[in-house]
Amino acid sequence: MELFLQSIANGLVQGGFFALFAVGLVLIFGVMGVVNFAHGELVMVGAFTIWLLHAQYGLGYIPAIAVAIVLVTVIGLVMERLLFRPTRADPLAGLICSIGILFILQVIAALIGGDGPSKQVPPPYQGTLVMFESLRIPYQRVFSLAISVAALVSLWFFLTRTRYGWALRAVALDREAAELQGINTNRISMVAIGVGTALAGLAGGLIAPLTNINPHMGHNVIVTAFIVTIVGGVGSLSGAVLAAILYAVFHTLITVYFGATIATISGLVLMVVVLIVKPTGLMGVRVSE
Amino acid sequence: MPVLEINNVTKKFGGLMALDDVSFQVEEGEIRGLIGPNGAGKSTMFKNIAGFYSPSSGDIRYQGQSIAGRKPHNIAEMGVVRTFQETTLFQELSVFENVLVGCHIRSRSNLFAAILGLDRGLQREAEEKVAEVLDFMGLGERREQLASELPLGSQRALAIAIALASEPKLLLMDEPFAGMNPEETNHMMELTRKVQESGISIVLVEHDMKAVMGLCGYLTVLNFGQLLAEGTPEEIRHNERVIEAYLGGAG
Amino acid sequence: MSSKGGFTMPKLAIGAVALIALLATPHFLGFHHQDLLIFLTINVLAVCSYRLVTLTGEWSLIHAVMMGVGAYTVALSVNHFDLAIWFTLPLAGTAAGLIAALLCFPLLRMTQFYFLIGSFAAGEAIRLTWVEFVGVFGGTSGLRGVEAPVVWGIDFLDPIPYFYFTLVVVGICLLILYRIEHSRIGLTLHAIHWKAPLAESVGVNAWRYRALAFILGSFFVGIAGGLKVHYLGSVTPNQFTIGFMVFILIWVIVGGYNKFYGPVIGVVVLTIFDESIRSFEVIRPAIYGGMLILSILFLPMGLESIPAKLKSWFGSDSASDEQALSDQ
Repeated sequence: MELFLQSIANGLVQGGFFALFAVGLVLIFGVMGVVNFAHGELVMVGAFTIWLLHAQYGLGYIPAIAVAIVLVTVIGLVMERLLFRPTRADPLAGLICSIGILFILQVIAALIGGDGPSKQVPPPYQGTLVMFESLRIPYQRVFSLAISVAALVSLWFFLTRTRYGWALRAVALDREAAELQGINTNRISMVAIGVGTALAGLAGGLIAPLTNINPHMGHNVIVTAFIVTIVGGVGSLSGAVLAAILYAVFHTLITVYFGATIATISGLVLMVVVLIVKPTGLMGVRVSE
Repeated sequence: MPVLEINNVTKKFGGLMALDDVSFQVEEGEIRGLIGPNGAGKSTMFKNIAGFYSPSSGDIRYQGQSIAGRKPHNIAEMGVVRTFQETTLFQELSVFENVLVGCHIRSRSNLFAAILGLDRGLQREAEEKVAEVLDFMGLGERREQLASELPLGSQRALAIAIALASEPKLLLMDEPFAGMNPEETNHMMELTRKVQESGISIVLVEHDMKAVMGLCGYLTVLNFGQLLAEGTPEEIRHNERVIEAYLGGAG
Repeated sequence: MSSKGGFTMPKLAIGAVALIALLATPHFLGFHHQDLLIFLTINVLAVCSYRLVTLTGEWSLIHAVMMGVGAYTVALSVNHFDLAIWFTLPLAGTAAGLIAALLCFPLLRMTQFYFLIGSFAAGEAIRLTWVEFVGVFGGTSGLRGVEAPVVWGIDFLDPIPYFYFTLVVVGICLLILYRIEHSRIGLTLHAIHWKAPLAESVGVNAWRYRALAFILGSFFVGIAGGLKVHYLGSVTPNQFTIGFMVFILIWVIVGGYNKFYGPVIGVVVLTIFDESIRSFEVIRPAIYGGMLILSILFLPMGLESIPAKLKSWFGSDSASDEQALSDQ
């Protein structure tokens, strides 16, 4: 029971990360129609930035996160401007370009970090929050969860309460119609990829002290993001958040009891089942053909 | 026996009633016009007949057999073949190859025969069929051209040629006259009559009233997903409700 | 598509010269390059079989794993039943084809993006099964001891005989793939790609053709996997990651997927290129990534389209107009 509770708590924290990068992926796919295969590498770049600036050069954790967000966002904006915009007509081309970026980012990380073992960042926040006897959560995780939730709530306000948010949702619904209404879809794409990649940078920053950092860590991230996106329903942000939390708890529990590989296999099988039974996912709406 | 029976067909999309309890029958050998203002449900009806949608309720019978809810390729095999709005062709293939795809039902090659080259006889047979259809539609000289390079009139003729290659008994034509100039319209009317004379029943969805009135012996009018009127072109022309529906739609 | 013309004399002559060159090549190479030549030949089969899958317009991400299915089938059948290479290779293809046939039911309900992701998920799940079930598949260290045997006095461990053997097997497979593409079946696959509803409206069961392409593609890449494991002598889950899948994609796309020989050009050119930048070990993937992006941006029809482009730039008035990249 103790283990069970503890796993659920850990799962929730994990769900926060999952939601951050899955939501970014959904935003980019929804607005631009591009499957950004390099999204995992963007999280990796975020985490690497923390390692380099905070763990190596002693910059504060929060400023390091800020730098990570800015850096990843800039990479995202450059990708949109130089790669995704020119290949807008062909969704496959965008995906292939993002695979190219994936390789490049991995190599840059390997060059900066060296080929050695995985890096660790000592948690900046020590100590443990004791909820009650059997449930203890390290402050680092509490911090991560709080920031994830705050970021998601801000995103929700942005999308529902601001002019750009409205425009963004309009483009995601129907790009042509939005264009006819005078929305500058290119600018909205920049906003979407900006927000999406900023969230990936933040996720990288938050995950850095809790994981092993290496140039290939993006692989697991993208696998997770795909599962969450599909289970939640492609194009549905709230679905992605819900699926992220559910999947994180599910994954953590199965990992604890059966091992990590089985957990991932179950996740992948779950995803295929969702694709068959309800391709629209938990919250998705089928877009008419 | 009617070749096609539409019995109380209803199609809902969410809360929207695209077709509401529509019934009508098409007789063997006729050209039936299916008309109505935009959004009347004509295309939805077509898609239900051809198997691209399945009706929410009601039944569709072809030669007495229910085809509602069957897959498009099954319905095509039974002899009901549709053409598409605008110019839906295999743009990247030649005219010849376009029609060859249409021969699918008639002469299907199996994998091993194809690999070993044992399907020559079948292949020759199919090629003869293609040549025959192309001549019939007046496309014989264009067989090596890419579909995308054809002028509008020939593209529409090719669309019908593809359908004819599959040897339908009932042809559903979706706005074959749209965007045509008078000369092209006349040519297309001739072709359509030729198809009818070869023994194929036709259901024609069309906005071009000149073509509809000239070709069809009998018209079925839909409005807002419901059957509005049926009758000869002359009757429909003077039907108060039809006039009102069209004027209302235009105004 | 339209130029199906038979084999003319010049074509035959070029073919003969190419064949002789190919047969002679390994004798002029060192051991390392002989290895490379064998893997290149195997990869040619991998990309050509992948192209068959993509003919219907669906891009799968499970092809590399299907190659692995072939490889594991060979390893298991050698380890447990001591089967000879004449049986293991067809078995490898059959196993991959069977798994593909089973996967058709979930995967082919999806198209486009969903198919891409679904095939990725299914493939990764299969691959992780090899990692997880150590007792059967040997876990991350895989299975070993499956070197090709000595048959009829020919030592297949020696690269040169094995290269000839690979060449024959791959050659037969390519011939079959070519014939399929240029048959009515190939035409129907193209038709489904360009306008599935139109094809269906004249009686084509699109699902069955998609399934056929997927199963056949998997069958042939399964054989490729078998050839690989027989030469390497061992198989691990890491040989068939999404990373290798990406390489298949790169080869096909950089070479050009509109023509049968496009992917072959891609894999040959990039393998030679890869060899020439061997000294830049660490940044090699980045160079690949950069090339992939450049080729998508500036050469979307692949290397295969260069001759036609040159012709239209420098060529006489007979040269065709700039080929419009008509999107479906």
